[in-house]
Amino acid sequence: MRAYLGAIWDSRFFWLSLVRMDLRSRYRGSVLGILWSLLHPIAMTAILCVVFSCVFGQDLRIYAPLVFTGLTFWGFFAASVVQGCNCFFQGESYIRQYPAPMAIYPLRNVLGAAFHFMIGLGLAIAIGLLVGPDINRNPDATRLHQLSALPSLLPTCILLLLFGWGLSILFGLLSVRFRDTRHLTEIGLQGLFYLTPIMYRIDAFKAFKDKQWMAQLLLCNPLGSFLDLIREPILMGRIPSLTSYVTAGSVVLVLTIMAMIALRIEERRLIFHL
Amino acid sequence: MARIELEHVNLTFRVRRERAIRLKDFILKRMFLPSKNPIMEVRALQDINLRIDQGDRVAFIGHNGAGKSSILKLLAGIYQPTSGRRIVEGRISSLFDIALGFEAEANGWENIAYRSYLQGETPASVRSKREDIAEFSELGEFLDMPVRYYSAGMMVRLAFSIATSIQPEILLVDEVLSVGDLAFQNKARERMREMMARAHLMVVVSHDLESLPYVCNRAVWMDHGRIRMMGDCAGVIAAYRSSVSGHPAAA
Repeated sequence: MRAYLGAIWDSRFFWLSLVRMDLRSRYRGSVLGILWSLLHPIAMTAILCVVFSCVFGQDLRIYAPLVFTGLTFWGFFAASVVQGCNCFFQGESYIRQYPAPMAIYPLRNVLGAAFHFMIGLGLAIAIGLLVGPDINRNPDATRLHQLSALPSLLPTCILLLLFGWGLSILFGLLSVRFRDTRHLTEIGLQGLFYLTPIMYRIDAFKAFKDKQWMAQLLLCNPLGSFLDLIREPILMGRIPSLTSYVTAGSVVLVLTIMAMIALRIEERRLIFHL
Repeated sequence: MARIELEHVNLTFRVRRERAIRLKDFILKRMFLPSKNPIMEVRALQDINLRIDQGDRVAFIGHNGAGKSSILKLLAGIYQPTSGRRIVEGRISSLFDIALGFEAEANGWENIAYRSYLQGETPASVRSKREDIAEFSELGEFLDMPVRYYSAGMMVRLAFSIATSIQPEILLVDEVLSVGDLAFQNKARERMREMMARAHLMVVVSHDLESLPYVCNRAVWMDHGRIRMMGDCAGVIAAYRSSVSGHPAAA
């Protein structure tokens, strides 16, 4: 275990430079460059805001930051999973030549996705401060509260990084073994998008007495706790609840253990299945 | 001290007739129905016992599919033995599949860095070496272009220049190496000779029976994943030759 982490650390120049290259080549030759990674969630947010403020009469000042934070998180999650499916195929030629630890190939993808996430998060914080806290839900909150709650995002980012890495490893190994994984995953993500409180809040369902089961179902989705960890400080100006931390933390812990076990089993055999 | 030891090493590939398993197959197998995509076992290496010490220059010979390249990849740590023990002491440099593993979108300089990092270099050491690598590859201003635009020959040149830029303790070479045009080939051969002379230990896989005795002192004759004969280079090659000419079908 320790030796394995050491080997990952020893090859840090390799995967760091590949992450840098991925980011550079993605925007090579495009005029807006890195701004594209911002424009995608912004455009989605704009579309959703137009739809929901026209059709359902949502207050934009509250709804826009909600959707933007949601989409930023979803972008990271989906990238970890989808690119994770591809990571060992992408690194195949290196795997065939050098005995480097396999975990660096998922790490390459996750760090790229994390970079885009951090940009989105920066903008989300800016939007949150601009609009001010949601005083309907947290009447005492001021912008000062928002600022002082921001440091709570630091452990969240570390949790998210581990979360994405674990996901990438698991989906990467799965799709080496079962080539259908990628296609199934893409369909699954479509469904999961609507089951995750990205475009809405779960308490929106509490208004309907006959839809309580729906709220219960959505509460089971552990992605919601990650969203709480991101949204509470930015939108509400308060530290996220312990429940959110514990839920997200346990998900990450379980996922990390699963990823470690899967790597332990597959690490030596992976090359025979590529 | 560089040293290689293999003890009772077996290597079994479990391949499927179609490349990857399907989810359907996986489930069907669990339900004990016969699969249309059965596992076929290939015993690539069987009960290999081997000791290579500092100073040895070992050649692996044998017909195609005898397990020569598998053993080289096993020594490099890319394949793990299915059973048995592999002990390797010393920094390894391997020269096989070198034309693979370029980032097509990145330029030559960047690819020099990526490969070098994988070989254990640091940014500082790469900076001091990359001019030498560039000069040896003779690619000049092509290095500023994305590797995507390189010809196959140019890629091999670059790969060879990077791979031979480090001083290995253990050198593993597969099927040396048709690198680039004629002029570059001579240069590459010269460099290989230097490298082989400086490496503490070397393992070569080759079909070039003429030149092997000049390079190697020991030889191992592989046959169907087993060691058929091992010993003094000239003697093993002579035995291999007579066996091949005696039974033409086996070649």
